[in-house]
Amino acid sequence: MDKAEEKKKVFRVFLVLVAAVILEMTSFIQFRALYNTARRAAQKKAEHILITSRYAILDVVEQAEQAIRDNMWIAQWCLQYPDSLASVSARIVENNKAVSGSTVALVPGYSRKFPLWAPYAYLSGDKLAYTSLATDAYNYPQQPWFTKALEKGEGYWSEPYLDEGGGNIMMTTYSKAVKDRNGKDAAVITADISLGWLWEHVGKIDSYNNAFSILVSRNGLLMVAPSDSLSMKTYLGDLAVKMEDKEHFRELEEGMISGKAGEVTIKVKHDTFHVYYSPISRTEWSMAVVVPEKEIFGDVWQMGLMAVILQVVGLLMLFFILRAMAKSWVDYQKARDSEEHMESELQIGRDIQMSMIPKDFSFPECPDLDISATIAPAKQVGGDLYDFYMRDGKLFFCIGDVSGKGVPASLVMAVTRSLFRNISALEDSPKLIVEGINRGMFDMAENEMFVTFFCGVLHMESGKLHYCNAGHNPPLVFTDHVEMLPVLPNIPLGIEPGVVFEEQTIRLHYDDAIYLYTDGVSEAENMDHDQYGMARMQAVLHERRSAQEHLNAVMSSVRSFVGEAPQSDDITMLFIHYLNHKQRTDVMEKHLILHNDIQQIPQLAGFVETIAEEKNIPQAMIMSLNLALEEAVTNVILYAYPEGTDGLVDLEAILRDDCIEFILSDGGKPFDPTATPDADITLGVEEREIGGLGIYLVRQIMDSVAYKRENNRNILSMTKNI
Amino acid sequence: MEVFIEKENNVTIARFVGRLDTPASQEVSKSVEPILEDPSGTIVLDCKDMEYISSSGLRIFLTIRKAAASKGGNVIVKDINNDIRQVFMMTGFLNLFEIQ
Repeated sequence: MDKAEEKKKVFRVFLVLVAAVILEMTSFIQFRALYNTARRAAQKKAEHILITSRYAILDVVEQAEQAIRDNMWIAQWCLQYPDSLASVSARIVENNKAVSGSTVALVPGYSRKFPLWAPYAYLSGDKLAYTSLATDAYNYPQQPWFTKALEKGEGYWSEPYLDEGGGNIMMTTYSKAVKDRNGKDAAVITADISLGWLWEHVGKIDSYNNAFSILVSRNGLLMVAPSDSLSMKTYLGDLAVKMEDKEHFRELEEGMISGKAGEVTIKVKHDTFHVYYSPISRTEWSMAVVVPEKEIFGDVWQMGLMAVILQVVGLLMLFFILRAMAKSWVDYQKARDSEEHMESELQIGRDIQMSMIPKDFSFPECPDLDISATIAPAKQVGGDLYDFYMRDGKLFFCIGDVSGKGVPASLVMAVTRSLFRNISALEDSPKLIVEGINRGMFDMAENEMFVTFFCGVLHMESGKLHYCNAGHNPPLVFTDHVEMLPVLPNIPLGIEPGVVFEEQTIRLHYDDAIYLYTDGVSEAENMDHDQYGMARMQAVLHERRSAQEHLNAVMSSVRSFVGEAPQSDDITMLFIHYLNHKQRTDVMEKHLILHNDIQQIPQLAGFVETIAEEKNIPQAMIMSLNLALEEAVTNVILYAYPEGTDGLVDLEAILRDDCIEFILSDGGKPFDPTATPDADITLGVEEREIGGLGIYLVRQIMDSVAYKRENNRNILSMTKNI
Repeated sequence: MEVFIEKENNVTIARFVGRLDTPASQEVSKSVEPILEDPSGTIVLDCKDMEYISSSGLRIFLTIRKAAASKGGNVIVKDINNDIRQVFMMTGFLNLFEIQ
């Protein structure tokens, strides 16, 4: 692993660590918030439990106190008749469900008749029973409920106690002093209530699974405790001794006994308990709700744990994603490098290919030529080719399209191009060049490719263009109009060895041009798969421009037609503009007007002479032209115009570079000399007609003779090729 | 165009000088009338100095030839240049005359 890789790895780890720190910080804040929320929720819940329990207790307490209040006046009234006090107790028990026993115990010595008097009415099963508490064993005046009630002067709730006689039920007694009319303490009235129901109300806490309540009396006696073995037997202070977390337990004990409300957290072994305590007024009890920390924060811890797990998983994923990304980035870079490498190879291929193709379009030794070419491969390297060069006053040129694209096509293109150069260095005939290339292609290793190919050899001096087309698109030839060059249906190169190709010839004149192209131009497709087509191409080429401007115009026309569509094929064009002034086709016209007089005939000799000078016509032809014209003109003079009438004979000579056209016209009567039969020159002296030789000679000398009658004029046109 | 006619014994020599074109033929046809009046014997048409001949000239030649043929005469065309020979060839006159 190199240094850069090491650095990347370190960076990756660092990135994950930063992510972890950020995550943990946010999680911690979140966890704190959740913890506090859970803590407050637990407080609320505990308060709720404490309040509901307190009301439940106070409800019963109130019943007992109410019963005493209600019966106080009867008890006062009955003080004078102590033996009726039992009925007061009975009434209290009977009318109050919460009260299981009651007594009105006289203060010793208040009644002379009954120094100790404490009749006790209670429920034995469902029935009311009576007994007396004024026994030596019990000695009621010493009991706290009696002494404290008198001492306090108001209601007093006793410490809870177990009713040993009545099935070990936890009891408590409410006692209150009864004063006589003089305001003197006369008796103590009581109501016993069972605390068995406290379990129902206080012992169980539905909203927690493992929470519990404790109820402690004013002395710290556990009235309600999670374990039966502790209730009514153990004091909070006794438990504190056994606890490890004494400090907090003491705090709880003191808080509860002193009738305060509060919250203490106590550790017991491995568990932590949150204890919420609150006093219960009147009875001077204190109640506490004990909730294991697990219960309060269980969800929080669970959520925290989940969050931590998720975070770890997430971070691991992040780490792996980063690693995968780094790996794929490396792969991507590798791929890109190799792609770039391939691309640069292709670029080199293209450069080599382009270096094969002439890009210098100037021929200082031959100013009679304006030539330009362009090639735009569809892929980096293409299968189109063009070439041209000048040798011995001849322009050798070619255009070709290798079937297929890309590297294989470009190789075939390169081979074809070098075959063209090698063979055309020795051969002047396009037929032999094309046949040689075709043979050469079969000398190569077998391949499935073929090449459509057009080869031309333009003789700069004469303008003669010899060409051979091997299945390529016919080029366009520009004369005074634009047309397709006529081509023979030769098959493309590389299909059949030893094939014979046919050669054709045309003649270019000054300002003529030939435009060669590959089907990448005509078949360029736009987004709708419409093809550019010949018509558009010809429309662009219609204007007369320089070769380079022509190609630029076609290229930009193709590009604007194609639009966004990808280029489907190589686009290659070659434009050759022939500008040899010697081959000007400028038409020269000569005019001669004669009267219909035979004596005018000698003028024809001079007329022909001037034409001969212009066109450099050989002597023999001068005479025959003179003869033909004389015969034609004589015909008109003799036959078109009646004798004695005056008429004009109009002779016009149009001098073209390869022919002379003579137009003879007159305003005489219709006369078609071409309609007269030819003289029979095979006849003997005797049979031979005297006349008829004139028009015969015209036909013999001229290459074409045609008559027409137009605007009341005889028009005879005669053409002589030169 | 000028025609010089000389007659010596049985041989008539007509020497043509210049261009025997259509207007010239009109004159020449008059000039050769003496020959046509007596076409017997040998008639030599000396073309050494004749530069040109048109169909009307040929017609004169043919008239002389026909006249001679009718009287058993003989016509010799002498010293025609290449251009005129070409015309003779085109018109089949090479077969009608003895060319020297």
